[in-house]
Amino acid sequence: MSKLSFRARALDAAKPLPIYRGKDMPDLNDCVSINRAVPQMPTGMEKEEESEHHLQRAISAQQVFREKKESMVIPVPEAESNVNYYSRLYKGEFKQPKQFIHIQPFNLDNEQPDYDMDSEDETLLNRLNRKMEIKPLQFEIMIDRLEKASSNQLVTLQEAKLLLNEDDYLIKAVYDYWVRKRKNCRGPSLIPQIKQEKRDGSTNNDPYVAFRRRTEKMQTRKNRKNDEASYEKMLKLRREFSRAITILEMIKRREKTKRELLHLTLEVVEKRYHLGDYGGEILNEVKINRSEKELYATPATLHNGNHHKVQECKTKHPHHLSLKEEASDVVRQKKKYPKKPKAEALITSQQPTPETLPVINKSDIKQYDFHSSDEDEFPQVLSPVSEPEEENDPDGPCAFRRRAGCQYYAPRLDQANHSCENSELADLDKLRYRHCLTTLTVPRRCIGFARRRIGRGGRVIMDRISTEHDPVLKQIDPEMLNSFSSSSQTIDFSSNFSRTNASSKHCENRLSLSEILSNIRSCRLQCFQPRLLNLQDSDSEECTSRKPGQTVNNKRVSAASVALLNTSKNGISVTGGITEEQFQTHQQQLVQMQRQQLAQLQQKQQSQHSSQQAHPKAQGSSTSDCMSKTLDSASAHFAASAVVSAPVPSRSEVAKEQNTGHNNINGVVQPSGTSKTLYSTNMALSSSPGISAVQLVRTVGHTTTNHLIPALCTSSPQTLPMNNSCLTNAVHLNNVSVVSPVNVHINTRTSAPSPTALKLATVAASMDRVPKVTPSSAISSIARENHEPERLGLNGIAETTVAMEVT
Amino acid sequence: MAEVVSPVPGAGRREPGEVGRARGPPVADPGVALSPQGEIIEGCRLPVLRRNQDNEDEWPLAEILSVKDISGRKLFYVHYIDFNKRLDEWVTHERLDLKKIQFPKKEAKTPTKNGLPGSRPGSPEREVKRKVEVVSPATPVPSETAPASVFPQNGAARRAVAAQPGRKRKSNCLGTDEDSQDSSDGIPSAPRMTGSLVSDRSHDDIVTRMKNIECIELGRHRLKPWYFSPYPQELTTLPVLYLCEFCLKYGRSLKCLQRHLTKCDLRHPPGNEIYRKGTISFFEIDGRKNKSYSQNLCLLAKCFLDHKTLYYDTDPFLFYVMTEYDCKGFHIVGYFSKEKESTEDYNVACILTLPPYQRRGYGKLLIEFSYELSKVEGKTGTPEKPLSDLGLLSYRSYWSQTILEILMGLKSESGERPQITINEISEITSIKKEDVISTLQYLNLINYYKGQYILTLSEDIVDGHERAMLKRLLRIDSKCLHFTPKDWSKRGKW
Repeated sequence: MSKLSFRARALDAAKPLPIYRGKDMPDLNDCVSINRAVPQMPTGMEKEEESEHHLQRAISAQQVFREKKESMVIPVPEAESNVNYYSRLYKGEFKQPKQFIHIQPFNLDNEQPDYDMDSEDETLLNRLNRKMEIKPLQFEIMIDRLEKASSNQLVTLQEAKLLLNEDDYLIKAVYDYWVRKRKNCRGPSLIPQIKQEKRDGSTNNDPYVAFRRRTEKMQTRKNRKNDEASYEKMLKLRREFSRAITILEMIKRREKTKRELLHLTLEVVEKRYHLGDYGGEILNEVKINRSEKELYATPATLHNGNHHKVQECKTKHPHHLSLKEEASDVVRQKKKYPKKPKAEALITSQQPTPETLPVINKSDIKQYDFHSSDEDEFPQVLSPVSEPEEENDPDGPCAFRRRAGCQYYAPRLDQANHSCENSELADLDKLRYRHCLTTLTVPRRCIGFARRRIGRGGRVIMDRISTEHDPVLKQIDPEMLNSFSSSSQTIDFSSNFSRTNASSKHCENRLSLSEILSNIRSCRLQCFQPRLLNLQDSDSEECTSRKPGQTVNNKRVSAASVALLNTSKNGISVTGGITEEQFQTHQQQLVQMQRQQLAQLQQKQQSQHSSQQAHPKAQGSSTSDCMSKTLDSASAHFAASAVVSAPVPSRSEVAKEQNTGHNNINGVVQPSGTSKTLYSTNMALSSSPGISAVQLVRTVGHTTTNHLIPALCTSSPQTLPMNNSCLTNAVHLNNVSVVSPVNVHINTRTSAPSPTALKLATVAASMDRVPKVTPSSAISSIARENHEPERLGLNGIAETTVAMEVT
Repeated sequence: MAEVVSPVPGAGRREPGEVGRARGPPVADPGVALSPQGEIIEGCRLPVLRRNQDNEDEWPLAEILSVKDISGRKLFYVHYIDFNKRLDEWVTHERLDLKKIQFPKKEAKTPTKNGLPGSRPGSPEREVKRKVEVVSPATPVPSETAPASVFPQNGAARRAVAAQPGRKRKSNCLGTDEDSQDSSDGIPSAPRMTGSLVSDRSHDDIVTRMKNIECIELGRHRLKPWYFSPYPQELTTLPVLYLCEFCLKYGRSLKCLQRHLTKCDLRHPPGNEIYRKGTISFFEIDGRKNKSYSQNLCLLAKCFLDHKTLYYDTDPFLFYVMTEYDCKGFHIVGYFSKEKESTEDYNVACILTLPPYQRRGYGKLLIEFSYELSKVEGKTGTPEKPLSDLGLLSYRSYWSQTILEILMGLKSESGERPQITINEISEITSIKKEDVISTLQYLNLINYYKGQYILTLSEDIVDGHERAMLKRLLRIDSKCLHFTPKDWSKRGKW
């Protein structure tokens, strides 16, 4: 009856409970029943485990005996404490400090390797120790680094070398061993590590993955946005750090190399001292021998700093070069090359022809320069990357830049020699490689910047380059150039030169049309322009008349004259431009007229130096080129053609010229050959009528007439007879036309040093020649004189050829 | 308490079952399976010979958890039903009583949801179902599994499917742990992020049900692990795992340990000593600041704590390592971990006395120390649940002695009968009120007499207590404790 009420009352934790000793207990029975009213508290164990046999047994035993019974305890797997080598393992003693031990927070990390050597490693170590000394710790550090640097992907031996600061042989040995061991290793690493979680959740249930990060949940959404950006930043940071590391490693290596070099030098000096080689004779002997064998390996640097640098040139400075520096290097280098043919020759001695430029190995370029950290000059770059043009670059956008991976050959021997002979010439030579403002005749337009180049067989090819001025340049009307160019020539230059356009330096960036024009006018801008074109007679007349140097050509040839003449020193070289029409109509006439001359010219050219004779075979009308022998065949051809079109006048003209200079005269008139020694530069730009392709013929005035000539001569004779009408073309263009119909190269010696106005001027001056008619003017005048029929013929010839004058 | 990775849902789960059947045709028919030993598959139950503490032979019923073949000789991993898992072992064929073998029941084919871990004694049916799920095509023996995948292939497959929904679910039930048990989808998910124990094995599978480390050498001791511990898998095949006694780093071989000792100059746990009396010291280690030691400690402890989870990092925990000093240094005896901030008044997360030191009073010392800390903090506390069997016994013993000590120490004032409230007991001892009540209950001290509750100290209780206290020589001396609690809530997260 009372039980009901008991149950209702809960145990109040705040209510005092009187404590009764057993002996004080009046009636125990009551109490027992009451006890059941108190709610049973959970044990806190798993239900299933609560019922386990041993536990229950232990609990009941405890309840019964009120203390533990040995036989009733819960059995557990045994543990032993009898490791007998314990004291050997844990050596030394540790005295308990009086103070409580306090750990400094950051003392915990010591730089010890996590990898612990095992007995297998010990075997290796013992083996290695026969050859070199390696301590266990050292070995562990190596393995440790290798391990930590590799993930699933093992580090390579190269990386390992960067990673480990050890002897190469040792690295190799340890590395190989490590790779082998790791392959056989069951785990992901030789340093046993707890499996890490993967972020994709695939390891959520992997029992071997432990200690997952809890932060996952706590990341707020806010942070997520930053994550990507910061991740990228971290990536970048990492990249840059690793780059820094690379650089440092490189520096390290470089300094090492320097040290080696020093040691070697020292050694050499010592050896020399012992040998008594005070004068360096023995050394030189050795050096010569060596350089024959392996040029690159020779430590030529020891005694010739410059020499060393030349070789070093091939290495490119790693990352330090700014664009500007590179650009300036380019420039510097350009200058250097022509001036240092010997150094080049030395370097390239292994190559077939000594003249060829050194072949640049990519590896060399890529290699870092270890030459010195304190060198005052930047290592030169042989093949700079083609970078956007620099303002400071005097050659502007047209500057020639070497490209990585390209092989460049040295200038031909003859030219090179020339350039070497005379520093002035060398300078001029340089200019020759520039891109110049160029105009075409047949598609009559300005093609922007172009560069003449010699193709196979001496054909001249125009390389065009695109610049930012292109749009402006396109607007340039060749006539505009013509009109003033003629005047400017005469003004600015000695009469020797025929100039279509005068120009000096290339324009700077972004010039307006007017600026460009004015530049051209003022000779600041070089411009090549075909002379002939189908100008109005009147125009051409005007032009020619203006020219002071036109003494030779009194008569005006019809406007369509293509070729330009460059005068060589003494003689005036006349190139005749011929328009297609003229040519066609008057082919025959021309042929007849010129045959002899042409033949002569060709022969002479063939024989090159021999005096020129009129050749019996008159080549068809076409090429009556006759220029001074010395002149390029091309120019000669042009001249001839010009002459043909206007036989009489031209002759006289030519003759005069010849008189001035040369004995050898080719061409119709047989007039003047420019003296061999003199250079006449002709630029003939030929374009096939329908095709815009431009061929630039240029005769550079160098004494040597060149290689081209023979070719021309040979070819021309054959072709000429065949068709008269075309002969001119054929001849002029000679092989060119054969090879590539579209592009006809007329001429010839591009290889020759570039005739610059200066050079020509100087030459001319030296020759004391009276200024001759500028080729263009001459031609044009000739053409005019010739009247229509001739014109046609000329045109016919010219259709494919546009002569340009080079200044 | 914790989120459970409930066993695989239907579709995913059937696959292993089928594989299992395919491998062992007689599964469904015990009659066929009787004879050859080759037919003994995972999930079978049969009496297995075992020697008890009194050196007597017993034939308790056991379940085959795994079979492995070592050089032609089959070994069977058996779990003795109604015995703790720590007694599970590999046995040879001779110790099996094949005459009484029971095969997994047919219903295994149609697995139903159940969240019951197989290691716990349950109804045979449930066990059977579980078995089928657990049976994996690949041999589950850790030493034979490829290092790459712990899980059998099917496991991976099902995880892939389940991973995503799992997260969602997890977030939903973070606060309510109970429902995870009967969540019908059985999608595995990460356990809760507080605490250190799991009541239901969140990753309960065949791998974690089996011990994976054969032996651990620690200092002068050789320990036989009781449970699974996620040491690097490649180390599980070693006959002995060598641990540095002081930093607890694990190594493959004695040579490795030797080498390690040349580099490791620790002679005590890498933390601050906060208590020292005699040879006993306590070191406090921050689980965030000293991760490697904390993790190594957890790995070691996991070998002896079934319900401990190492799922998450050690950041939110402090580790109190009890050491015994001798001339070689401060040797670890046991430890307990404690959440820096506990939302449930836990003053202990995991607690362990290493086996060589067990049953010598160290466990109680650890417990006592944990309450000393709580006293300094001015809080009451309780150990995180679930308790293990040994944990329960130890705590009960500690609580009993502590409470009895107080009760018996009460003097009657002015002839009045001494009295005390439960709250007072709790305050004095820092034992949480519920624990006080359960202890009083367990000791049968609470009686109702004359309309009120009274505490009765029977003679045998008093005698028992006095005898026990005589044996309890190791005590914590609060004067030797140099401990200033930190308010972790003010330090950001842990």
